[in-house]
Amino acid sequence: MADDASAAKAGSGDAGRIVFDAVEFRFHEGAVPIIRDLSFEVDGGEFFVLLGPSGCGKSTVLNLIAGFETPTQGTIRASGHPVEHAGPDRMVIFQESDSLYAWLSVLDNVAFPLRVVGVPSGERRARALAALKLVGLQGHEGKYPGELSGGMKQRTQLARALVLDSPILLMDEPFAALDAQTRAILQDELVALTMRVRRTVVFITHDIGEAILLGDRVAVMRAGPASSIKEMLAITLPRPRKRSSVEFGELYERINQSISEEVRRSLRQEDGLIA
Amino acid sequence: MRAALLTSSASITTLAVALGVAAWWIASAWIALPLFPSPAQIVEAGIALLRNGVLVKDVAVSLRRIAIGFSIGCAIGIPLGLAMGLFRPVRYFFEPYVQFFRFVPPIAWLIPAIMWFGIGETSKILIIVYMTVFLVLLNTMAGVASVRHNQIRAALCFGANRAQLFSWVILPGTMSYIVAGARIAMGNSFAAVVGAELIAAEAGLGYLIVDSGTWMAMGDMFAAMLTLGLLGIGADRLFVAITSRALAPYLEASPRGR
Repeated sequence: MADDASAAKAGSGDAGRIVFDAVEFRFHEGAVPIIRDLSFEVDGGEFFVLLGPSGCGKSTVLNLIAGFETPTQGTIRASGHPVEHAGPDRMVIFQESDSLYAWLSVLDNVAFPLRVVGVPSGERRARALAALKLVGLQGHEGKYPGELSGGMKQRTQLARALVLDSPILLMDEPFAALDAQTRAILQDELVALTMRVRRTVVFITHDIGEAILLGDRVAVMRAGPASSIKEMLAITLPRPRKRSSVEFGELYERINQSISEEVRRSLRQEDGLIA
Repeated sequence: MRAALLTSSASITTLAVALGVAAWWIASAWIALPLFPSPAQIVEAGIALLRNGVLVKDVAVSLRRIAIGFSIGCAIGIPLGLAMGLFRPVRYFFEPYVQFFRFVPPIAWLIPAIMWFGIGETSKILIIVYMTVFLVLLNTMAGVASVRHNQIRAALCFGANRAQLFSWVILPGTMSYIVAGARIAMGNSFAAVVGAELIAAEAGLGYLIVDSGTWMAMGDMFAAMLTLGLLGIGADRLFVAITSRALAPYLEASPRGR
């Protein structure tokens, strides 16, 4: 695949780096902030997992990085540039596969970003096929999204996100809607893939096992509203990781307690509000 | 084998039609009045009308009105529906008119249209335009609203500009709704054209019905109605055949197909 976004990636040390500086986000003036005083950094090429209970603002963080939402306070930088709107240096993989264009074949879906960027049609086909091969979808390029299984749809989304060589991949619970077996296969393949084509990945999940399995670092978020990061854990287990290992189990228990605390704390808060 | 024959859709349809014709036949034989012609008399009258050229001329006149009115209606309804779906100010501006006039049926405009535009083609075509615009417009607007939010967000990620977003995401995503609206409007055009031809017309299938009534030519009248129904079915089949071939990926992308 030829380089568009990755030219910048090679040039500066900031490529793929994400920096949050005291970010606050509210949906409108006077509303309770979803996120408050959130500061963290993600290194270029790092697999960064945001973990937390439902409603803690994980997806909001992702939408802020993607540029779908704008912080009400603070700044966000991606690859050294302030994030002002969505752009081809940050690709989103959505939980729902309805982001695929149902009227386009798998090949044309994956080639779509290249068409937007203005790559000539002959080259588009070759690059889209290469991306499809990366995610194991060779031979399915002529199908339409409606003919694909859930796992194949998410593979198509992944191929479409990889085709521009964007330094940052933003994944919003991409495997949450899949059955357990498909999910496990895709998790393994994602690890293998990101080790091969080094990208910054921000991965959102509420599945603790998935977080430990995938992440270089896991950020546990506080229960919302006014959420921020509660603790940051570096996962140093060697890859490929085994869910059955003792270290995995210990880490799981630790994070599970931390999140349970959060859920209980938020329940108490709600009780307090009612009383 | 016998079960398959009984449950196949074609055999049930054939049976239903045969029963309907038979029921009409028996009723006409039972009543035995010139005001209630038998199927044979209707077909006979139809053949006579075909031979002397009346039916062909009236069909041509009505089809021409439908074709022009439907085309103009789509040409107004589709872009306006898109604009209303895409831009809130446009929607707020036209919404009261759309909401009000969709309860004023095309037939209600017949008399004022004749008074303003005369008894010529204009008033008749306008009735069909009016009917088509609302159906197509409302469907197109609903189609724009149905485009998946994530499809738009994904395109923004790729850096799509407004023109690309419109022509590569929103328009294709709306296509199945536009086609559905146009199909309903085309069917209703056959109803509307008869209404438009009931008063102050000198040709067309609606005129043929009225004229046959004046002369108590019941066979001719029902032959005209039969022709209308058959033409409607034919036009609908043709519409589906053309759109499903030319726009296949967009139609299969409808929410039901997803």
